[in-house]
Amino acid sequence: MRRCRRPCGWRGATGLAAALAALYVATLAHGQEIPRLTFAQLGDAIRANQTVTQEIKSYAGKEVEIHGFIIPAGPPDLSFFLLGRVSAVGNYCCELPSGQDETVYVYAARGMTIRYDPLRVYKVRGAFEAGPVADKAYGVSFFRLRNARVEEAVGARIFKLGDAPPTGR
Amino acid sequence: MTVLTVAWRYLQGRRVASALTVLSIALGVSLVIATTLLTGGLRAGFIEGTTDYGLVVGAKSSPTQLVLNVVFRMDTPTPNISMDIYRDLKDDPLVEVAVPVAMGDAFQGFRYVATTNTYFEAFPWRRRTVTVAAGRLFREDSAAQPAYEAVLGAEAARRTGLHVGDRFYEGEEMAAYPLTVVGVLSATASADDRAIFFSLPSFWEMNEVSRGMDVKPLTAVLVRPKRISDLPALHRRLNVSAETQAVFPSAVLLSVFNVLGIVEEGLAVILAIVAIVVLLYLFVSMYSATFERRREIATMRALGARRATILSIVLLESAALAVVGGVAGIVGGHGAAYVGAGLLAARGGPQTHPFAVGTLQPLTLVAVVVLGALAGLLPALLAYRTEVAENLAPLS
Repeated sequence: MRRCRRPCGWRGATGLAAALAALYVATLAHGQEIPRLTFAQLGDAIRANQTVTQEIKSYAGKEVEIHGFIIPAGPPDLSFFLLGRVSAVGNYCCELPSGQDETVYVYAARGMTIRYDPLRVYKVRGAFEAGPVADKAYGVSFFRLRNARVEEAVGARIFKLGDAPPTGR
Repeated sequence: MTVLTVAWRYLQGRRVASALTVLSIALGVSLVIATTLLTGGLRAGFIEGTTDYGLVVGAKSSPTQLVLNVVFRMDTPTPNISMDIYRDLKDDPLVEVAVPVAMGDAFQGFRYVATTNTYFEAFPWRRRTVTVAAGRLFREDSAAQPAYEAVLGAEAARRTGLHVGDRFYEGEEMAAYPLTVVGVLSATASADDRAIFFSLPSFWEMNEVSRGMDVKPLTAVLVRPKRISDLPALHRRLNVSAETQAVFPSAVLLSVFNVLGIVEEGLAVILAIVAIVVLLYLFVSMYSATFERRREIATMRALGARRATILSIVLLESAALAVVGGVAGIVGGHGAAYVGAGLLAARGGPQTHPFAVGTLQPLTLVAVVVLGALAGLLPALLAYRTEVAENLAPLS
């Protein structure tokens, strides 16, 4: 037992390091698997004849991530809400969201529990749909996320003085 | 004699102590069940009873007061807005439906709500359909000839005892303007059940101030846009205006839920402390019982009872107390929730379901039995380790 202690310890440490590395790689891989779309991309994707570009259509049916403000336009259990580029409340810093090209209809997965804050950016992941669809309850929308999950988006991007700020994010 | 019989005899042997232990467990469990049912029910009641209209537009004031008053008939009305705001919204190309609402006094505590028949209309986006259980809706009368016809919500009709054809008023000021009941609505599980509806012209004529006004007052306008994606634009435009505020009802409720969440967290801490106190009581009760029974246990051991048998008797006794206390607590908790729900409804709060059964009850019972058995584990071990020779020695 005593003879085994040193090699066993090493083996344990190696195992732990391998597990941590695997976890790190898995996290990275998981992060890379889900593409992130911005409101700028969504807005640019709409064409004059009420269609969306093939590029944005290529995300249809796939899991995507969009960051934005929750606008509780549906029931208070947040089973449906709008995701907006700007907050619906606050000090009116930005231009008005101008309609369906500036908002995403989010149909949340059941049993969602988040602490709602109108001034907080949320990270929403769900199955993406693009193109005009008329919903009986909520009217026409261009972009939708189905079976969506919501998290608070933490860790805003920090950039140094002189660097160009990240666009569209 | 089986282990179960011995445990039962032991419990019978100290009836008062066992009853008090069961009572303390039952009270603790009742508190957990009643609190969970009422806080969860309050949240569910608000969700169930909320409006399907996307915006509530009213005067600049508290958004919470506006929504609680207009949608849930709680709190006092916000200041008035002019009828012109309603007309502008009705004609707005972004708006599908706009419904004017004026909140008035009350009859026996049931609020007067003046509106138009559009309020009761069925739309594809409405979760609830308002139907007339008896009579009809009030006539859309004119300001020159107000009809003073009232439609009662289901609970308002039941509690006031008013029927179709009855006339009523409250306060001597209103004696000149009695309302006639022309209809009773079916129950909707919302604040509409506790309201008395009539037309806006009748409301304006009943009100001494509005009678002389050229532009009539309203409390709020309920707005449904053609496309939900237009809500943010409408919301912003109406809030930037110096006269009005627009509120998402769900946003107000979510803020209320956030506060409720803090209260729930505080309650959870209190309930955890109560659970610890109850467990300690059970532990002390079982410990002292086992301590007093050392000679009996030693005798049983001398007569051939195995240590494991002694251990299981004490554990069984403790678990039995927990089962009886847990079941009594669940029943008592529902009773307490029923009383609480009644008090809440009497104060105009949302409807809760005090007899709702789900995973809460079995989970609580399992937790109580497991914790009860754990509380009896140390006394059981004490019994398990009882030495025969030492405890059968003469008492002198």
